[in-house]
Amino acid sequence: MTNDFNFGLVQRYVDGTASAKDMLQLNSQLRDSPEMRQEFIELLNLDSALSIVCEPVNEEEVTAFEVKRPSLTQVDHSEADSPPADSSNRLLSRSLFRLAAVAACLTLLIGGTWWWHASQQVWATVQNRIGFGGLKEGIELRGELHEIDAGVVQLVTAYGAEIVIEAPAKFQFESADRLKLTRGRLSASVPPAATGFTVMTPSGEAVDLGTRFGVDVRGIGPAEIHVFEGEVIAKASGASASDNLYEGDAVRMDQGASASRELRSSAFIQSAEMSELTPHVTSDQRRRAEEYVTQLRRDPALIAMLDFESDQLPPGVFHIAQGRWPRSRAPEFIDVGDHMRLDAGGDREWPQLTLAAWVRLDQVGAPYQSLLHTDGWESTPGQVHWMVTRHTTMRLALAGNTLAPDAEELEGYPDSRTPVLPKQGRWVHLATVYDATARTVRFYLNGDFDKETRQAIAHPARLGAAQIGNWDRHDRKLSGRVDELFIFGRTLSDTEIQTLYEAGNPYR
Amino acid sequence: MSSTVPDTNDNDLHREFLRAFTTHEPAVRAFVRRLVPSRNDADDILQEVSIVLWEKFGEFHDGGDFKAWACGIARFKVLSWLRDKGRHRLVLDTDVVELVAEVSLQTESRLERQRIALESCFGKISATERELLTRAYRRDVTMQDVATSSGRSIGGFYQWLHRMRKLLLQCIRRELAEEPLT
Repeated sequence: MTNDFNFGLVQRYVDGTASAKDMLQLNSQLRDSPEMRQEFIELLNLDSALSIVCEPVNEEEVTAFEVKRPSLTQVDHSEADSPPADSSNRLLSRSLFRLAAVAACLTLLIGGTWWWHASQQVWATVQNRIGFGGLKEGIELRGELHEIDAGVVQLVTAYGAEIVIEAPAKFQFESADRLKLTRGRLSASVPPAATGFTVMTPSGEAVDLGTRFGVDVRGIGPAEIHVFEGEVIAKASGASASDNLYEGDAVRMDQGASASRELRSSAFIQSAEMSELTPHVTSDQRRRAEEYVTQLRRDPALIAMLDFESDQLPPGVFHIAQGRWPRSRAPEFIDVGDHMRLDAGGDREWPQLTLAAWVRLDQVGAPYQSLLHTDGWESTPGQVHWMVTRHTTMRLALAGNTLAPDAEELEGYPDSRTPVLPKQGRWVHLATVYDATARTVRFYLNGDFDKETRQAIAHPARLGAAQIGNWDRHDRKLSGRVDELFIFGRTLSDTEIQTLYEAGNPYR
Repeated sequence: MSSTVPDTNDNDLHREFLRAFTTHEPAVRAFVRRLVPSRNDADDILQEVSIVLWEKFGEFHDGGDFKAWACGIARFKVLSWLRDKGRHRLVLDTDVVELVAEVSLQTESRLERQRIALESCFGKISATERELLTRAYRRDVTMQDVATSSGRSIGGFYQWLHRMRKLLLQCIRRELAEEPLT
């Protein structure tokens, strides 16, 4: 930064307290020193941005306003009967006031074309966003580099391709049909008019042939392409040949080669999900969720609560992705072997137990997705295995327990009736309530009671060392994210489960 | 009153204009602000600029760069304002204003990123500081009043304000330093 003396001079000018002598000095320094000019420009730029930040505009009202008052002639009359202007729409009202004053004050201004910089084309426009940062609705994107560290942004390209990018991300348009993604997770829905839309990553590129697909670039690691529908050409950097991928295919591009992967469709937020997410996330839903979680933390029967927000995460091999809210975190399990270790509640038996978590899982080929598996299944009755089965139903198995004779399950363990994984990637809330005394297992999906299974033999639950994700066998992995995991040493009522779901639900 | 005013019943045009104007107002405002001594001056000029923009919006080509077009018009407004007011006010010399306008436009993408980064930096300062800054930047207050209500002398308050601006600018530069040059 320019020395403090000169910087103080600029500050006085900004404040309107500069003297005539100051002005002489300022003029001469701005004329002579490019460094001083840059300081000057940046400080005044800050001053202007501050005056806007200090007087925020509510974006939702902008849209509502335009719909309600379609023409200028109405604006004049609306002043009297419009609701009292609060600070949020003051800026807009001012804009409209200026427009309405057109007839009263007309200054003709001609020329200026020489001045008009070579027009830069607009490659895409922001349609929607969740979270913070400057990429507000309506902002036009050209060739500049964008970086978002939280939230999700939805764009539409000049040719109509819908793009959703999840943070942390860094991207830049090269043209309306070429997007450089150096970091982040992107989904694209490409109509025929935009066919050929290409996403370039550090390790290769994806060329669309009329489709829906996802691209995942995690930091410096290899990029992955996942095809949800249609066809995409994948070409690893430096490779001589390319691969044609079809619906259900996925590849990882690494050092000039593409390796086949399991499709992770729920890893990507697609445009349909955006519109369900936005309203809740922009309201004070998150605050309500946090309040309810704080309340539950005081529950005397709470054994463990993991929201993954603190720096002290449990040990294991996993990735960190965005949770249900912008700037929140959730562990993500991607490769076979990814897992997280827990150790809680191992000191005693638990005749009653409730397990609940928000999950966002892929429908993978593996028979079981392991939500929570305690270590000692073979040695101690009552060890707990909570999972999603190949039928995408939820299962709660306790070592040594048996089903009641009238149970409808065929595989010997209590299972939910309803599949718990949606076809499209979504966050879902799973809960199960075990009662050894009543000999019942109850299942809940998104707050709704699904079914109760009766047990003939019901041991009290045993916890202790346990694992989320890949368990010690080949048939159990986990593909997706887990958020807000609760373990209670009591039964939660239907109402409590419903409240837990509603408090934490990120959708409308 | 004048035939150059676009048909006020043209809803689409009006909507399109509003959308473009509200999107780019921060950039045009910042551009004007860099050329004139005070925020109030910038407000006055921006008001006149917005009228001209609406008048001429019919001539603006779809797909063109609204921001560059608006800044071009704003620049003329600023220069004519300086000619009128410059004799009575402490304003920068015209050649310096031209220089600043030129550099401003060359570095607009960086300046835009800085304005965007301010949002996150603004969130990093304490709630008390944010509140006081917000008051200082309100249009209907005098610095003396804000200083008095914060329990500072006017000199002390300006010192605080200068320190805050410097801190925010440092924070913004730090945030952008992580970005590779493009």
